[in-house]
Amino acid sequence: MPGTTAFPDIELVVEDIGGGGGGPTPPAGGGGDGDDGKKRRRPGGPPSPNRYYTGIALGIVSILMFFMALASAFLVRRGTSGDWIPVHLPTVLWLNTLALIASSFTLERARRLLSRLNLSGFRKLWTVTTGLGALFLIGQLVAWRQLVAQGVFMASNPASSFFYIFTAAHGLHLLGGVGALLYVLVRKFENTRMALPTAAEIASYYWHFMDGLWVFLLALLYLGK
Amino acid sequence: MGNDDSGANHSETPQTGFLSRYVFSTNHKAIGLNYLWLALFSVFLGMAMSLLMRLHLVWPGMHLPFLSSLGNSPDRYAALTTLHGSLMVFLVLTAAPQAGFGNYFLPLQIGAREMAFPALNLLAFWATVASFVGMTCAFLISPHSGITLWIVSVAIFCAASLLNALNFSVTTIDLRAQGMTLPRLPLTVWAWFINAILGMLIFSILLAACVCLLSDRLLSTHFFPPSYLLASQPGAVVTSAVSILWQRLFWFFAQAEVYIAMLPCFGLVTHLISTFSRKPVWKERLVVLALCGVGVFGFCVWGQHMFSSGMNPFSPLVFSLLASSLGLPATILLVSWLGTLWNARIQLNTAMLFALGFISLFLSGGLSGIFLARQDLAAAAVSDDFVTGHFHLVMGVAATFAILGALFFWFPKLFGRRLNEPLGKLHFWITFAGVYCVFMPMHWLGLIAHSNVSPGRPLASFAAAGSSIRTFITVAILLTVFAQGLFLINFLWSLFRGEKARESNPWRATTLEWSVPSPPPADDFGLSNPVVYRGAYEFTDGAEDFLPQYFAPEQSAKARESGE
Repeated sequence: MPGTTAFPDIELVVEDIGGGGGGPTPPAGGGGDGDDGKKRRRPGGPPSPNRYYTGIALGIVSILMFFMALASAFLVRRGTSGDWIPVHLPTVLWLNTLALIASSFTLERARRLLSRLNLSGFRKLWTVTTGLGALFLIGQLVAWRQLVAQGVFMASNPASSFFYIFTAAHGLHLLGGVGALLYVLVRKFENTRMALPTAAEIASYYWHFMDGLWVFLLALLYLGK
Repeated sequence: MGNDDSGANHSETPQTGFLSRYVFSTNHKAIGLNYLWLALFSVFLGMAMSLLMRLHLVWPGMHLPFLSSLGNSPDRYAALTTLHGSLMVFLVLTAAPQAGFGNYFLPLQIGAREMAFPALNLLAFWATVASFVGMTCAFLISPHSGITLWIVSVAIFCAASLLNALNFSVTTIDLRAQGMTLPRLPLTVWAWFINAILGMLIFSILLAACVCLLSDRLLSTHFFPPSYLLASQPGAVVTSAVSILWQRLFWFFAQAEVYIAMLPCFGLVTHLISTFSRKPVWKERLVVLALCGVGVFGFCVWGQHMFSSGMNPFSPLVFSLLASSLGLPATILLVSWLGTLWNARIQLNTAMLFALGFISLFLSGGLSGIFLARQDLAAAAVSDDFVTGHFHLVMGVAATFAILGALFFWFPKLFGRRLNEPLGKLHFWITFAGVYCVFMPMHWLGLIAHSNVSPGRPLASFAAAGSSIRTFITVAILLTVFAQGLFLINFLWSLFRGEKARESNPWRATTLEWSVPSPPPADDFGLSNPVVYRGAYEFTDGAEDFLPQYFAPEQSAKARESGE
């Protein structure tokens, strides 16, 4: 994953912003409890951001399972019947892919600027990322229109059904990602439970995952013809 | 991510008004209770349907209020079966032990004040309500659009369960109180946690299947070649395709639910047995491993089947493999329960009786499961009486017993009053005898059917036979269902007039939820954060025979002195 080196900086910023309120919890009175040194909750202060990291990790696993199930259905279905007519992938898909991969890089650069507390630079690059994401979605719609113009519809044959369902499901998930990027961009993180760097980091994990997932799906569609 | 401020200050500002306090509250206790009310409503609705079905089987010509007004056709009958099954499996067996009790007690037991994502939690509950409404309405409209609506409802249910599972696992991983290490987690929490992880994987796959199915029905795609439908069902020629479709779809989803419904029940029963035997859980670590085993085996067997069949709902079902994959972990659990009970000072109150009833049902259901693990027997149609009997004993009734046991156990904490014990015991014994009288003869019927006629004859055509066994079953069902009236009376009466639970820990149990007043205040633990000092099942000999998790060492030493 690009930009992994930026994580320690981000963690530091999170500590600075999140650890403001309240004193530490009283230490455990019992002996032999040294195995749990972490203080998970600070009364009065904002809750620990751990839950968002765990949440996004588990959410990604769950979404991955959804697409794996579809992928297995794709592979099984391809082998079971003679009505399979491969879809000729429109060229615009490759451009879309480039836009999406580029967005991952701008996203990482934006986060690096954020860790250096360059807020205006962060906003600019973050907007570019969001724009690239929107561009990808528009490009996918263009690809659909091209296929429709060729007479390849959702119900034409199993291969086209799978093409549409993969792109639609991924597009919907990516739309959620664009929403998350916009949320980070628009929201003022003053009175929230989550600090801006945390939100940006969570959104970035999801975005990179969507990026990788698309590359996987494209490879599947291309090689599985 | 959208829940930044929603749950932030619910503890400081007491909310007023019915809507914000019960209906749209993000408090985990309100949501948990709402799930329990929904399950209670569904279970009585589902029971009424089973009654209708049995009456129809014994006296097919009889005019039944629901069935005859909608046309007395096999379609209707299959739809009724599906509705009964969906309500029971999805909204009672899946929702009550996991989402209901789990939402209420998981944060309390691990010392968290809330679930990790309160707004998602509320969303999940209302999505579940929407799926309940959808499933019920699916029965009332024409079969074709009814099936579509039913699949939409199941899809919504899957999405809600995914949100729930995410919430449960993140809460368990990140929100535990100080000192609540993984080995100190109560087994109930372990079960909820493992179940949540399992649910995240299973419901994702089911959701994908729902999407493909819906697209097949609405956009006329061909994700699933329809030829499978006729090929795998020899009886399809006899009855209409619609009634077969209802059955296939229901079992397709229900076979995944076997684990989702049973896992939290294992946790609940282990917890109850340890508490009322006044003994630590025998081989606690092994029990945790067995719970993981149920999850891992179950998912591998089921998942392998799903992946290799391309999620096809019309491919043959995998009951036989599922049944045998449970063998080893189930045996470990059983041995641990018996080991805990061995030489224990058992307190035979209603909650314990239901837990023991669970063991008995699980054992006898498991024994008949051995027959099912034989491929040739299980290959017979899933509507067969033997399978119906087995499935109901081991999954339906056993899980219901675990839920009832948990309700008797936690009722003082939930409402600050106790359920009536003598009435509860009467209810238990009638129900216990009743379910054996209902489902044991059903096994027998299945075996008779196997020896006489070709397997796979659909249930509805059996109706004409009307043998004495069937009448016996119906009478037994009538009695059992009316015995549930006792429970309803007990429940409602105790809710308003029951004996008050004066102390916060009436059962002398060890886990954190008993450290707070009953019912718990809005912010659960008041001003100070709970700290955990030991494992969840510290029972010893003597007058003060238990050490709660929340007693500091000096406190517990004092308690022991005063006890001796």
